Amino acid sequence: MFPALVDGVTVGALYALLALGPSLVYGLLRVLDVANAAALVLGAYLGVTLFRHGLPWWLGALGGMAGAAILGLLLQRFLYRPLLDRGPLVVLVASIGIFIALEEAFRLIWGPYPYQFPVNVPLPHGTIAGTPVTGVQVLMLVIGVVILLGSWWVLGHTRLGFTWRATAQDRETARAMGINVNRVIAGIFATGYALAALAGVLFAIRYNTVTPDMGDVPAYKMLAIIVLGGLGNPMGTILAAFVIGLAESVVNTYWGFILPRDTIAFLVLIAILLIRPAGLLPKGVTRA
Amino acid sequence: MKRTSTARVTAVAAAALLGIAGLAGCSSGSSTTGSSDQGQSAGSVSASNSSSENSSGGTIKIGFFSPQSGSEASDGKSALDAAQLAVKDINAAGGLDGKKIQLVQYDDGSDPKQAVSIATKLTTQDNVAAVVSGSYSDQTLAAASIFQRAGVPMLAAYAVNPGIPGTGDEIFQIATSGPVEGKAGAQALIKDLGAKKIAIISIDNDFGTALVQGFTEQAAKLGATIVSTNKNQFGEKDFGPVIDKAVAAGADGFYMVEYAAEGQQFLTAFRQRNLTQKIVGTEGIDSTQQFIEPNGKLADGMVFTTVLNRDSTDPTTQAFIKDFTSAYGHAPDMVGATTYDSFKVLQAASKNGTTADNLKAGITDLANFQGVTGTVEKFVNRISVHPVELQVFKDGAVHHYGTVDDPDIINP
Repeated sequence: MFPALVDGVTVGALYALLALGPSLVYGLLRVLDVANAAALVLGAYLGVTLFRHGLPWWLGALGGMAGAAILGLLLQRFLYRPLLDRGPLVVLVASIGIFIALEEAFRLIWGPYPYQFPVNVPLPHGTIAGTPVTGVQVLMLVIGVVILLGSWWVLGHTRLGFTWRATAQDRETARAMGINVNRVIAGIFATGYALAALAGVLFAIRYNTVTPDMGDVPAYKMLAIIVLGGLGNPMGTILAAFVIGLAESVVNTYWGFILPRDTIAFLVLIAILLIRPAGLLPKGVTRA
Repeated sequence: MKRTSTARVTAVAAAALLGIAGLAGCSSGSSTTGSSDQGQSAGSVSASNSSSENSSGGTIKIGFFSPQSGSEASDGKSALDAAQLAVKDINAAGGLDGKKIQLVQYDDGSDPKQAVSIATKLTTQDNVAAVVSGSYSDQTLAAASIFQRAGVPMLAAYAVNPGIPGTGDEIFQIATSGPVEGKAGAQALIKDLGAKKIAIISIDNDFGTALVQGFTEQAAKLGATIVSTNKNQFGEKDFGPVIDKAVAAGADGFYMVEYAAEGQQFLTAFRQRNLTQKIVGTEGIDSTQQFIEPNGKLADGMVFTTVLNRDSTDPTTQAFIKDFTSAYGHAPDMVGATTYDSFKVLQAASKNGTTADNLKAGITDLANFQGVTGTVEKFVNRISVHPVELQVFKDGAVHHYGTVDDPDIINP
């Protein structure tokens, strides 16, 4: 059971990093942003590029997060904001289109061949119960806990969280109450894209590879996680990320590749939605 | 509530849409329009004079398609590089029966639908005399029926699906047939390396299915036991659990039918466990830039089945390796070698003329063709018959390990 737990929680942490941004965006704007997965790829490429130029991996990660945050700001300003009045389906299709276009752009910039990201994260590692646990897995476990507690604290107990909740509840009223709604939206996009970029760097280090299409599977799994968590509920999204990660790992550990990982994720989604049609934490989009 | 439900349905539909695209991407990836090596948008024509006829005015049009975008673009680049080198070499040597080749090439975007459009264009607008597929099985199979109906011979450079030559009498396969390569893998793992209890870990597509089929048949003949068979999707990252279960089942050998990305993850998990079981891989990892250079040390000691012998003393092979490396800055791989040989087979087949019928007859009757991948003895049911090369990773590089040339194995 231990190997499945370690793998499930570390993978769940990556899913949480990726899905948290789009979940917050959904809470604010009621639109799904698939292009967020492109930030994962961009973060990984920027991170590995900086690393190959001699910077430590964590500086590469910061560089990747900064680059992805800028991408998020640009997309929300020049793509999503003009489309918001056209309805959620238009935004969704646009986000899928921009995701595919960005993937091909990355392929043109960095080439079709995989990059390796050989980093030994200097954290305690070894073999526990016969299962190798690497430094980056330990880091991912730590980050998983930090995301969970950090999101709970920021969204529920800080002014930042208050403005997000106010804006999510009623944008016009929030604006009337003096909240700079556009700035809140921009901040959420920047944060979400930066978190996805961090997921990309960790993913790249964990599996020692960066490829242009590394965001493909996370893109649609991210949507399953957001739905499972209860649309627009960030804490539900984080919980769903760990549920999906654990379910995939448990099935793989005990039954091998009896089902593709993605199939497992969607089976879990369907099973839980049958029992809880509104998702894991359904009490409204404004609850943190 | 209604709004939330609608949004949920939208999200699930979007996920399904992306999922379907992703599944297609397992062997296709995203589609794009054709790319050009000369800056044209839909396709490109390289070498010598333009001509609307397929074999007049001293030129002959040969079609070529490969994935230059999408998930298979790295192999596509290798194939296109080799195709251009082959055209250059053949034209320098006088062309096909005296006619210079015009290469009409398209990017299939790793997408079978795009391959069908390209096949239609090549046969109805470009009027090519013959075609080389530098693409994967899905695209090659999808395009093959178009070429068959149009009466245009097509050579599949490295697509191994046994159904490809079965399309009809215009369709040929240069690559080793999947079941043949699988049998050769069994021979290497069981007979040469002495494994008796085998765990199979394979990519779940036609490549994996064909090789595993051949491997399983030959393993039974050699008296080995298959202790487990696991098939994974593209992009699988965590091979640890299935390795652990195979070891617990007593596996003393692994047959690994994976591509570069999945192969790297398998070997990483294998090395983390300090295991000593023997591993035999396949040509799926025979990619210079995707696997051999970055993972050479990780794969140390591993044997794999392929067609390109880097240590061959044959001057044709060595000249190809030298010229390719000089032109592109890295050594060629299996994809490049079989693509190059496909064009050389067309050259050899053009001795009696360059019409589609001449080329088809020439390929059908070809015997003991000496290519950069060794000697193609003949075509049986339009599948090339040639020995299977065994290469081994040693000190970060690949070297000759052995050859499987038993007629009972290499005849498809």
